[in-house]
Amino acid sequence: MIPRDGSAARCHDDEVVGLDSAAALIRTAQTWAHDNLVPFNVSLETTLECNIRCIHCYNFDRDEPRARTRHACGVEGAPSEQRRLSTDELLALIGDLRAAGCMFLSLTGGEVLTHPDLFALLERARELNLAVQLLTNGTMLRPGIAGKLARFPNLLGASVSLYGATAAVHDAITQVPGSFQRTWDGVERLRAAGVSVRLKFIVMRQNAHETEPMMAMATGRDFPYSVDLTITARHDGTDGSLAARIDGPQLESLYRGALRPLLPPGKRPPPPAETFNCNCARGNCAISATGEVYPCISVPWSAGNVRDRPFAKIWRDSPVFQRIRGLTLADFPKCAPCPHRGHCTHDRGAAFNATGDYTGADPFVCETAALAHRLADESGD
Amino acid sequence: MSEDSAIRRIGSLPFQKMNEETLVVDPKTREVHLLNATASRVWELLARPHTIRDLVGSLGREFDAPEETLRADVTALVSELAGKGLIDPSGWRKDDR
Repeated sequence: MIPRDGSAARCHDDEVVGLDSAAALIRTAQTWAHDNLVPFNVSLETTLECNIRCIHCYNFDRDEPRARTRHACGVEGAPSEQRRLSTDELLALIGDLRAAGCMFLSLTGGEVLTHPDLFALLERARELNLAVQLLTNGTMLRPGIAGKLARFPNLLGASVSLYGATAAVHDAITQVPGSFQRTWDGVERLRAAGVSVRLKFIVMRQNAHETEPMMAMATGRDFPYSVDLTITARHDGTDGSLAARIDGPQLESLYRGALRPLLPPGKRPPPPAETFNCNCARGNCAISATGEVYPCISVPWSAGNVRDRPFAKIWRDSPVFQRIRGLTLADFPKCAPCPHRGHCTHDRGAAFNATGDYTGADPFVCETAALAHRLADESGD
Repeated sequence: MSEDSAIRRIGSLPFQKMNEETLVVDPKTREVHLLNATASRVWELLARPHTIRDLVGSLGREFDAPEETLRADVTALVSELAGKGLIDPSGWRKDDR
């Protein structure tokens, strides 16, 4: 992920909407959570239902019956066959998360606004002094909804996904005509209601040519944004989403062109081994719509289910989280000797979804790091 | 604000204790505040309405400091928290700002 606006985020799960001016303080807090094993940032998948059918969706193939699942997830059936957490279970879980030290709660989906009791979840979070952000496609922000959201004093804002600079490109990806306009209508309603918005551009084969116009559109309308190039295999084990990934020439064209200003300047030596680990299972985690606890929303490696054990016990004792916390750079066989580590996003979600191994490496991420390194060398900084 | 005015923290603000310090987020102003140990203790006490006199009394039982020094420090701290919009001088919960 490449943030445009000085945000403190290092990965999706670190992203905090609306607090960019306090990035240094947020980073200090994130580091404290990492060092003290406090689940400071939690992504809660409230539902798998969605009102659009994105071709790159990481949940599952929305054009096909859901039949398969990845064994490494630790779940025994496809998401559609699992019993989703009820509203009562979600309300109780939010309390457990707060008790465990959660500060920033990201409510996601599916499409979070399809959840019939979203406002009850927000109210529970308000009672518990949790800061909440919504991850949404924005299309369901009808008149009145944005204003209702704005009345929650604990709402940080919304991260809204956008897939093109034109309706033709965006709507082809969501497979819902009119979704581009509805997303922008929703975004503007949020702003008018005083809710912070960050746009999230997911760049893929189908919209790579609109990357620069997308960035110009956000800048022109004065919205912060981030750009994400990483399309992964799906959490149901299917990999049709990968057909949407940009290829090598597109990547190089973007890095030499539209995205060049966003790349950190200069050569960067590989970071020290002790700083290699990210916030997965240290300051971040995610909980699926069926109650599986993951190290982050991008890594569907279940540490346990909140229906079987209390969240606090899973967080503290699960072998999966203990294993992640015990990893050192030497445990990442592709990354440890890599000369491009200083230019790499170390995307664990991409690695896990590509290889089924948390310590593996996604060739696309490796290619991206090598290119960033080469460009830094060429710049001579 | 007099010494006997009831004050309490803004009840809806997200916060998290971080060891001795407390991180407080105000989504409306988009500001983040890090309270030191003393301010964190006052923040805890202000979950319920307190007067400055109450706060000085409570802190006096916890800290070995002259009462006058505590009163001056607490008055300054409360003024600072009020200036940042983190407390409600009326003593009433104000969630719908």
